[in-house]
Amino acid sequence: MASLPELQARFSAAVRGDPDALACEVSSGGIDAAGRVSIYRSNSLAMFEGALERTYPVLRRRVGDDYFHQLARGYRARHPSRSGDLHWIGEHFPGYVANTETGTGYEWLAELAALEWACETALVARQEPAVGPDSLAGLPPDQLGATGLRLQPSLRCIATSFPVLDVWRANQPGADGAPIDLARGAQCVAVSCSEAGLELRELSPAVLEFIRLLQDEATLGEAVDRSRIPIETLPDALGLLFEAGLVTAVRPAESETHQ
Amino acid sequence: MVSSGKPKSSSPILADAGIGLRSAHHQALLREQPRVGWIEVHTENYFHDGGPHVRALERARETYPLSLHGVGLGLGSNDALDRTHLERVRRAVDRFAPALVSEHACWGSFEGEHFNDLLPLPYTDETVEHLSRRIAQVQDALGRQILVENLSCYLAFSSSRLTEWEFLAAVVERAGCGLLLDVNNAYVNACNVGLDPVAFINGLPRDAVQEIHLAGHTQRAIGEHVVLIDDHGSRVPEAVWNLYELAIGHFGPVPTLIEWDTNLPDLSVLLGEATRAQACLDVAHGLAA
Repeated sequence: MASLPELQARFSAAVRGDPDALACEVSSGGIDAAGRVSIYRSNSLAMFEGALERTYPVLRRRVGDDYFHQLARGYRARHPSRSGDLHWIGEHFPGYVANTETGTGYEWLAELAALEWACETALVARQEPAVGPDSLAGLPPDQLGATGLRLQPSLRCIATSFPVLDVWRANQPGADGAPIDLARGAQCVAVSCSEAGLELRELSPAVLEFIRLLQDEATLGEAVDRSRIPIETLPDALGLLFEAGLVTAVRPAESETHQ
Repeated sequence: MVSSGKPKSSSPILADAGIGLRSAHHQALLREQPRVGWIEVHTENYFHDGGPHVRALERARETYPLSLHGVGLGLGSNDALDRTHLERVRRAVDRFAPALVSEHACWGSFEGEHFNDLLPLPYTDETVEHLSRRIAQVQDALGRQILVENLSCYLAFSSSRLTEWEFLAAVVERAGCGLLLDVNNAYVNACNVGLDPVAFINGLPRDAVQEIHLAGHTQRAIGEHVVLIDDHGSRVPEAVWNLYELAIGHFGPVPTLIEWDTNLPDLSVLLGEATRAQACLDVAHGLAA
């Protein structure tokens, strides 16, 4: 009689693809053990693929069910589930798709996967109370450049080589799924989640970089300098952050210390 | 909006009918506020820090008593207990203050790979000891009793030396947990592995059963044989209703949940099934009065 650890080892081997691994441990009752084990094997695969489908619905729609399932099975072989929580199963999928599609002419699928993963993680992020532009009003003008902004935890900045935001929008429920001309080129996208739900905004490269630097705790002055955002667009960029409720705190300038 | 923090207290779940709440029904439930005794959700779907699903559950629990039903701890796995997962369960319990917390008498991972399925255990003294020890660890971590659900099975192990009810009774005695009786699972097991469902119900420790699940199943052909698949994707079959009436005749009125996870219909269909369960409970309440 197999011990509990031995039995689970044999069961695991059977679910992974060796139908005879468990045969001697099963009361058949007229149905062979391989047939019974196949139910668990298909259930486990369905759970994995189902979670991946829910995370990457646009990618699935673009490549079709057959190729998506082929991708999912290859991905599972490389990145089996490591958690009882299905939510994180798709974490490494964009990287896997990037490796799989390199040199195929379908490299944009990896960028689409990255955008969908950003959406997935934005949807479950903590939401903090937003502050308005009046939170900057009391600051001395000479300290504005040394001030930082704390942004919503859900905010994700994505820069792509292909127009995957257009692809994403064309493949939302109710949209016609019309093909997008990939020659349209790069897009920069800010993904966030509010009370109203998921929000995706196309930004200029400089504004996206400006926001990304603020996320990395750069001061406003540093973010302006390093992003090379045109100074005339700065009011609009700040206005966007405040109006969208993406600013959660103003980080005052650190006082200088003298030794 | 930011979470309003830990609810002050949990509303008790009475011996009424409830429904399993899935995200597709969040808005309909919050908008229509139907009369239903309580709701149950899968704990793992509310592990996150925020987002619309967490906010919807925070609103729903203001109206309905709540049960958290876990599917991912793998209580019977030989792998070490996943402390990260358990900590997330603990945070969800703290956040939502459910009246009931439950998991399954199953295992789910081996050498770190999770199969994300509820896998069956052999009914042996070794398993009783292992599962009981793990349940006790979870109860210690959560600071409360949990309920453990009987599993639907597609195979039986030749090494089993106990009946399923003897196994569950021994686990209850040793771990001090309660039981969640899934009547559909008992029916499925009767067809799939020859369980005597009446002996099963009569053999469970009467005071331990604190919740009942009802659900639908489907059929799958394997060669010349038919296996029932516990897919929670249809109405509760008549045979399961009959077994349910037998169960509450034996146990008395017990909080009863309509589970529906695949092929999700309109919320009204779940509520219709809950109304039927409530009618059975009302009869049992009358008999008990």
